[in-house]
Order: sequence, then structure tokens, then C-alpha cells
Amino acid sequence: MDTMRYEYSRPQKQKLGREDEKTMEPKKILVVDDSKLIHKMFEVMLRSNTLVHAEDGQEGLQRLVENADVDLILLDINMPRMNGLEFLDAVKRNNAFVQIPVVIVSTEGKEEDTERALQAGAAAYIKKPFESESILSVISKVLAS
Amino acid sequence: MRDGSGAPERPAGRESTPELTRVVDELEGTLAEAGRLLKALQAAVPPPPPKEDPAAEQVARLQRDLDTAELDLSEFSTRLIETENQRSRLMNLYVATYQLHATLDLEEVTSTIAEISRELLGAQKYVLLLRNESEDQVCEVSLAGGLDERDHLFLGRTYTGGEPTVDGTLADGVLRVDPEAGSNVLAAVPLTVQGAIVGALAILKLFDHKPALTAGDRDLLDLLAAHAASALLAARIYSATDRKLKTLENLVKLVR
Repeated sequence: MDTMRYEYSRPQKQKLGREDEKTMEPKKILVVDDSKLIHKMFEVMLRSNTLVHAEDGQEGLQRLVENADVDLILLDINMPRMNGLEFLDAVKRNNAFVQIPVVIVSTEGKEEDTERALQAGAAAYIKKPFESESILSVISKVLAS
Repeated sequence: MRDGSGAPERPAGRESTPELTRVVDELEGTLAEAGRLLKALQAAVPPPPPKEDPAAEQVARLQRDLDTAELDLSEFSTRLIETENQRSRLMNLYVATYQLHATLDLEEVTSTIAEISRELLGAQKYVLLLRNESEDQVCEVSLAGGLDERDHLFLGRTYTGGEPTVDGTLADGVLRVDPEAGSNVLAAVPLTVQGAIVGALAILKLFDHKPALTAGDRDLLDLLAAHAASALLAARIYSATDRKLKTLENLVKLVR
């Protein structure tokens, strides 16, 4: 009998969500965004993780100094005082934080914005509005790599 | 027993008679006929089927089971995706409602409406209009985001009409997602409190990476229609009451 014929492979799910959330080890995640709504959304979405909140880049740097064991940074671009790209630049120039992956989550959706952020050292770029499954999938992949 | 000639041996002690010979011949003829019939019958009856291979039968059954399982899996995958989409939509609705009613500060409520428009709906241009308490036909532009000279109707501090979709919603309190002819408003959301239309939220343009409003966005617009006005009203009443209380406290201090 030809056994290969009966070998079964499960079709890949088109989207990942709850599965990523369940399999992901609890992490410490810094959220830098000036929108309270987005902070609340991440709180709900990433409830099994420890979240550290900051409303702009300057506060983000301060929180990072206080929480050097942060595993991941979720970063908006348009913020008062210090914007996301300035914050990203500061993080990537600091040896203590350079290894922390940064995921940009922004309403800025132009190709040049994405490229600029990725060239500056961002690990991924997600456009707002986003679906929870897509962001969980990206976070999971970034943390795994 | 037969002799050497091939003729049947006659019983001992008995004489062969023509009658006996005839009977024997008939019997031999009947026997030959029976032999022919038996051969014909054997040719007519199909041979018994060969015994089936149990392994092949099991393989066929397993294949059928596998086909059924794959169909089930495909259906479950579709349902899982639908459920995850639904979960995402419900989460958006929950967070939006939570934030709208999380504060009694008028500025924060307005800011939350702006954030819902921008961050959850993907609106690049939006405007929040609130009816002027003294002049019924005039709305204050309470909040605006991303507007330019093409949106001149909303650029001032007040809106006095002229945009057909917004005017229609302000008149009948119906949520409009399909723009009317001559209108560049993508959606007009009525803000109603106890049946009274107190204003409208107009979505004028989405971000380029957001192609269109989805069914989930429609749910969010419905939620805004139901909750934004009450949140704004509660914040306004609280603000007015707080102001009055502070005035009274100051008066009491002065009297003392």
C-alpha cells in the first residue's frame, strides 16, 4: 500500500489569533501611544502579558529605563513631545535597548513611512486600524525570531 | 459391469429381450441428455465472485472517513475565522464603549470620539457637529480632523447646512453609510439622546490603506450613534454642575 497517499497535513489557517495568544509565553510589553483607546485595546488583547504604558516617546524612554527587561515595544509614530521615529532612533542608539524588538503600529500607511521605520530598525510595521488576529500573529512571530 | 464389446452386461440367469434392450437404450439417451443439460446449466450460472480483499475494503472505508474529516475541517476553519472576526469586532465595540463612558470630562469624551474615528474606523477626515442649544438650525463644529479647503463647509466654528448627507441625518436621525448624490461624506452618524437629535459625526475620508467601511465598521457607527451622544451629554451636565458647585462654594466662602 502507498502510505504517502494517506499522509494527512492540516490545512493552514488563514488567520492566527487566539492560538498565538495561548501559545505565547507571558511577556513584558511597552506600549508607546498617545491614544488611550489603543492602550485599552492592547490591555484587552494582550491581557495575559504585563503591559507598561507611555503616552509619548519621552515617557517611553523613561519607562524603558525603569523596565529594562521589556521584551517588546509597540510604538505609534505621531505623538506629542517625541514622536515614534525619534524614540526608535534613541532606542537603537542605546546598547542596553538595541536588542528589544520594536513593532510600529501607526495610521501612517504610506510606503515611504513603512520603509523609513524598517530602515530605522523596526521589526515590523502594522497599519491602523488593525485586526487583533493580525497583530497577535505579528507579535508572536517577532518574539519567536 | 460391461463386457469387451462395450454393451451393458446382462444380469446372470436372465435372458436379453428386445424390450430390455429398448429400455436400456432409452436410459442411456436420458443419461446423455442429462449430461448436456448439466453442462448448459453450468455455462449459464455465473461463477461465484472472488473473495474480497479485507485490506482494500478497509482502505476504501478509511478514504471515505478522511474525505468526510477534511470537509468537516474546512467548515470548522471557516467558522473559526468567522468567530475570530466576530471576536475582533466585539473587542472594538467593547473598548469603544468602555472609553466613551470612562470619563465625565467633556474634552476626553470628544477626544475618544476622535480616536474611535481615526484609530478604529480609519477615518482621515472627520467632523463632529453638535446642535447649538439656542439656534436649532446651527451646529457647532465640536471636533474636526484632517480637514482641508475642500471641506470649507466644516472649516468654521459653526455649520449651517449645505452637505446633503449630513443635513439628511441631522433632519431624520438616520445613520447614512452610502453617500447621497453630490455628497462627499462617506458616513453620517446621528447623535441622539432620548429621541432628540443633538448632532452628527461625519466621516469624510478614510486613510488610503483603508479601502472601505466594513460590516464591523457599521456596528461601530451604530454604537457611536447610541453612546457618543449620551456620553457627551453626561459630560456636559457634569461640567455645568461642577461649575455651579464651584461658584456656590466660592459664594459660601465669601459669605463666611
